[in-house]
Amino acid sequence: MAAAAQSGKATTVKTTFSRETSVSIDIKADAAIVWALLTKAQDYPRWNSTVTSIEGNIALGGKIKLKSVLDAKRTFKLTVKEFVPEKRLVWGDGQGNRVYTISKNENGTVTFTMTEKIGGLMFPMYASMIPSFDQSFEQFARDLKGEAETIMNSK
Amino acid sequence: MTTELFTQEFETNRPQLKSYLLRITASIADTEDIVQDTYIKALEKLSTFRGESSLKTWLFAIASNLAKDNLRAQKRWVENVTDITKQAALSNQQFFQEAMHIRATSPQGQFEVKEHIAFCFTCISKSLPLEQQLCIFLKEVYDFKVSEITTILNTTEAMVKYYLHTGRSKMISVFDGRCALINKEGVCHQCSELNGIFNPKQNTQQEIMKIEIAREAESGNKEHLFDLRMKILKELDPFQSKAAELQLHHLEHNRQVMEKY
Repeated sequence: MAAAAQSGKATTVKTTFSRETSVSIDIKADAAIVWALLTKAQDYPRWNSTVTSIEGNIALGGKIKLKSVLDAKRTFKLTVKEFVPEKRLVWGDGQGNRVYTISKNENGTVTFTMTEKIGGLMFPMYASMIPSFDQSFEQFARDLKGEAETIMNSK
Repeated sequence: MTTELFTQEFETNRPQLKSYLLRITASIADTEDIVQDTYIKALEKLSTFRGESSLKTWLFAIASNLAKDNLRAQKRWVENVTDITKQAALSNQQFFQEAMHIRATSPQGQFEVKEHIAFCFTCISKSLPLEQQLCIFLKEVYDFKVSEITTILNTTEAMVKYYLHTGRSKMISVFDGRCALINKEGVCHQCSELNGIFNPKQNTQQEIMKIEIAREAESGNKEHLFDLRMKILKELDPFQSKAAELQLHHLEHNRQVMEKY
């Protein structure tokens, strides 16, 4: 059975001690292109309007410093925890993990999914201070789809 | 294919192989070595050439593989290479004395703005990751198709497209920010400055306006301006042009500076 088409609409599930935001989008491009875009740190600001900069090497165990449009004053210091080429990338810190997955579909497209879960025992104390990720996630997915499909369709 | 016929075909391709390798290594000596090694390796493997690609594609594949192992090809420079090397040249009296001597005595010692534009692209392209640099030259200057580049670099079509797109975007952005020929706010005027030094009797502004990329700068079409820059590279052979000796001397200088940087 074919998987349902993924539109790029974010969803958030909240509990007392955690919050999980997820977005999925179908991309008409080779998984290698999507993977290359996700793993070349210095190139992010060129195509991704949600990221101001990423310093460091996106590779297993690599340390990266990410600045996001969502919280311009803050630098997120993250560690790359999983790195499976063209399939799965995970980075995170003590508060949570960002998981990227790429799955190939029968029709030649790929489905890109991005999920971030934050939480812990202290989460209820600062939950209200963390902005919603929904809009930023949807923009990230749209930017990735746009760039990957532009590359795929280039001559 | 007989050895004689192969050698004849190789000689037809030699100028393009040489200019490609020079633009990748920025070294005359390494270029000569890799061209020679390409000939030897191709001759050794001639019996395995089945004609599945053109001979030119096959030779470029061998040359590219050799270049990828070359330390000077691997060495990456920085986007503002021309600023760094300019400072080094200004404090190096010998460099200018040699350059002026070449200008005065060599039949290939003319200074032409167009030649310097090509030279400048060669230097700045070394700030790209090597794969992107190779793809840009193969596609934009040596007219290989994406499918042929996959053969030359032994990679997938998707990755060639990725390297081309990202490399091209990066170079457009660098030149848009730096090059005063296409951006009035651009910080680099080196081609104009050098024209003033080497051709003091010329009106530099008039010389600049002879170049299509400068005339069309007002259009603001960055993709088109990049294509015009590539057209200049396509039309020039850095070993055969009227400015070859002067520009090769300058390239050697820049490479030596960047090797210590």
